[in-house]
Amino acid sequence: MDTEATRSLLPLLAFLLPMAGAVIAVPLQRASDQVRNLVLAAIAATVAVIAIVLGAGVASGSVYELFILQLTPQIWMYLRVDAMGALFGMTAAVLWTLALVYSWGYMHGEHRLGRYYSFFILCLAWTMGVAYAGNLLTFLIFYELFSILTYPLVVHEETPEAMAAGTKYIIYILVGGTLVLLAIVLTFFAAGDQTLTAGGILSAEIGSGRLLAIFWCFLIGFGVKAALVPLHGWVPDAHPAAPAPFSAVLSGVMVAAGSFGIMRVMFYVFGADLLGYLGVMRYLTWIAGFTVLFAAVLAVNQDNLKRRLAYSTISQMAYVVLGVSLLGTEATIGALVHITNHAFMKGALFLCAGLFIRRLGAARVSQLDGAAKRMPVTAAGFAIASLAMIGTPPLSGFVSKWYLGIGMLETGNPWLLAVLLGGALMAAVYLLPIVYRMYFREPVLTPEDKATAEGREAPGAMLAPLVVATILTFVLGLGASLPGMPVALARMAAESFFH
Amino acid sequence: MSDWSPLLAVFLVLPLTAAVLTPAVCRSSSTRGWAWTLVTMLVTSVIGGVLIARVATRGPFSYVVGGWTAPYGIELRFDEFSAVVAIICLLGVLAIVFSRRYAERALQAERIPYYYALLLLNLTGMLGFTVTGDLFNLFVFLEILSLSGYALVAISGEKIAEMAAFKYLVMGAISSLMVLFGTGMLYALTGSLNMADITSRLAGATQTPLIVALGAMTLGFMVKAALFPLHVWLPDAHAIAPSPVSAILSGLVVKVGIIGMLRLYQIAYGSGAVDLAGLNLVLTWLGALAIVMGAFFAVFQDDIKMMLAYSTISNIGYIVMGLGLASTYSVIGASVHVFNHALIKATLFLGAGALIHQTGKRTLTDLAGIGKAMPFTVAAISIGAISIVGIPPTAGFLCKWYIALGAMQAGHPFFGFALVFGALLIFIYYIRMVNAFYFREPRDRAAVDVQEAPATMLIPVLVLAILCLVMGVLGRLPLTFIEPAVERLLMPVGGG
Repeated sequence: MDTEATRSLLPLLAFLLPMAGAVIAVPLQRASDQVRNLVLAAIAATVAVIAIVLGAGVASGSVYELFILQLTPQIWMYLRVDAMGALFGMTAAVLWTLALVYSWGYMHGEHRLGRYYSFFILCLAWTMGVAYAGNLLTFLIFYELFSILTYPLVVHEETPEAMAAGTKYIIYILVGGTLVLLAIVLTFFAAGDQTLTAGGILSAEIGSGRLLAIFWCFLIGFGVKAALVPLHGWVPDAHPAAPAPFSAVLSGVMVAAGSFGIMRVMFYVFGADLLGYLGVMRYLTWIAGFTVLFAAVLAVNQDNLKRRLAYSTISQMAYVVLGVSLLGTEATIGALVHITNHAFMKGALFLCAGLFIRRLGAARVSQLDGAAKRMPVTAAGFAIASLAMIGTPPLSGFVSKWYLGIGMLETGNPWLLAVLLGGALMAAVYLLPIVYRMYFREPVLTPEDKATAEGREAPGAMLAPLVVATILTFVLGLGASLPGMPVALARMAAESFFH
Repeated sequence: MSDWSPLLAVFLVLPLTAAVLTPAVCRSSSTRGWAWTLVTMLVTSVIGGVLIARVATRGPFSYVVGGWTAPYGIELRFDEFSAVVAIICLLGVLAIVFSRRYAERALQAERIPYYYALLLLNLTGMLGFTVTGDLFNLFVFLEILSLSGYALVAISGEKIAEMAAFKYLVMGAISSLMVLFGTGMLYALTGSLNMADITSRLAGATQTPLIVALGAMTLGFMVKAALFPLHVWLPDAHAIAPSPVSAILSGLVVKVGIIGMLRLYQIAYGSGAVDLAGLNLVLTWLGALAIVMGAFFAVFQDDIKMMLAYSTISNIGYIVMGLGLASTYSVIGASVHVFNHALIKATLFLGAGALIHQTGKRTLTDLAGIGKAMPFTVAAISIGAISIVGIPPTAGFLCKWYIALGAMQAGHPFFGFALVFGALLIFIYYIRMVNAFYFREPRDRAAVDVQEAPATMLIPVLVLAILCLVMGVLGRLPLTFIEPAVERLLMPVGGG
């Protein structure tokens, strides 16, 4: 990429602001809930605005960069906002803001709120850093911080299940992070500290043995985060254990960060040509294809709603890896857009799941009979997000699957359509029965429930983020082809990968 | 100012004199002893700062004691590796500040003056050890710091402390003898005790006695550094000593072995008289083993200070592995970790000391849930924990990064692999610790219902925790300093 980069402080601000928020969250907690809520929401919203401004700038052809400081004589901490990072940053910041606002209601009266909010906003800082990192070491710093400092959120409930899930989470993530570190050390040794560049920084002269070692270290390392089967073990445990707003960002952004990492490695460290030469992509296609179907099948049997959604995340995020593994422009666009679309669909579903837990005490699918009567708005949101997840036009899920499908045909892999449609079909099998239960079954009510059978709908402050996420699934679907929408940014990015 | 080098002598004579005078000065009041040692150490630190500034701008320099020029007189030499005095002074000051309240409770009143005197003597020994250019002088300072170290471990006067100190003494005495033995042989071979002089005269020396001499000194220094399997004295001594002393012992005193090793390398590499490949291979393997074994033992500890002591063994493993790999990056990593590990381990030991001081408990089981009562101390410990496992961008990361790179550079990627996965193992017991402090239900609520530590304890801990973060982000500072020194060290063997 030869684009002149503009120096800008905005990417720095995007992670300094939430860091400051994390520092003041605890004292604010002591002051008053209202003040804390407003200040933190203002910070998250500002970050979202910054991300959107940067995204708009990138869409109009600019690239932003900033050298922050020199870590060692060889290495700078360096931020660079390109199309792919801008898209991920926007997605993360907007979803985070929604989840934060939702937390006001959801977390009300919970213990250790200072800690919760502090780490919640802190993780936004690291995520923005991951999105805007301009070289591998900067990426690693933010990636590790955000992997490890989410631990207090995973174990927030401090129940034995949460602690067990947390232990599982941290061990998976640390092993993954260690492999990523190893891969980055190998890359640094082979190529030095280089700005991530579309087209890759490694060359075939390094020798295919070493290149393969680097590739698989990266892939397994990020694959843990991206929840590729068989590295997905932490996902189904961590999601039900964590508070619902955190589950939403965990599924929508954190898992996606693994896929984002894989993409960075594929297109900015190796480059499409070198990957083609190494011939490793077909293995990735198989792994991802298997993950899509396998996780979807497992999802069907889960009675715990958040667990079912977690398996759905594994399945859906594998679409992303499947798309990029084809090394075609359209499929890559589909994959990039799917990260964004999935974030809001899955975010909406988790927000619903949280509302069901809080308002109905229903954590299991079998407890949701007739929920639509008691919580009409939530149930509607759930139904819409489910349809989007399945890929019903004109919702957002359809757009990404359309591009993925086109990409499969374009790269000459029509048989993969079976995986694509099979995954969508399975999504229908694991999501629609829930919708059916909510709308067409009579609620089973205990006598004391009967008195309050109606009017269990959540307060407006909790519904608002859900409504916004649902509207976004419409907007991202109906307006997909408008300029400045994710598809446009994704196309910019994808076209720079395959000149 | 034309000649600043006499300052180098003042740098040692001042704290040495003050240490000897301490019991007399503070006969009646422990506060006076505290203030006396603190002021001494602060003045010494200022001098240290001046010396470092000088070496940074004008390169290494010497002071000739009593006007007897080298190789006959004693030479004090301040080079880039001597810049480690910065951390000795810093930790010295903070440990003394921390001691004020800690010593009052942990020690009998009549022992407190001796405690401060010994602490100052110990620090002086280390300062002298790092700036001397003379091998016998090196041995003298080694003995000063070792003897004061044994006494400091035993100072609480409990039976168990005496046992630990005795174990430390036996191992330490043997290792000092080895160093003396090696020094004697080098003297016999070259007729000199001055390090620079030995280096120039060593070329063409008979191989067998030279190898025995270097081997004996390496062995001696590695006992001091507690390299696995020579570590057996360390866990008890470091866990049982008063916490400020543990911080000094674990953060600094074990590093004396490493600095000694670096001096030895300066002689051996510089003279080119002997091929150290075999020794380096052994050190690399033992380093890798130490990382794993230290982590392995630590996992089973319930006593927090015991855990930290075993963690030191792992970290010494990193450093020795870095030295053994003998590539530019790995030696840089090892040298930087001498500095950074001192910061991190002092954070952890002083933090643990504050917990023990406030609660009177020292096991993870008893300290469960302490995070709520002492948020600042536990936050500092958590930063230390994240730092010591090398999560970027904390201070511990630099060592991991450089030594892993160095392993590639040396053509032994396996050791890079061992290093990063060893760090993973280490993380396991630090997770246990953080889990216990923050997320577990207290076993006995009354036990953890305490106040946050007093300011004289909290401030040193917080300063250190902040430095753990800052030194990671500003890793460039020590590196720009150490890189040229390491390149110069390895130049004769074509490292790089």
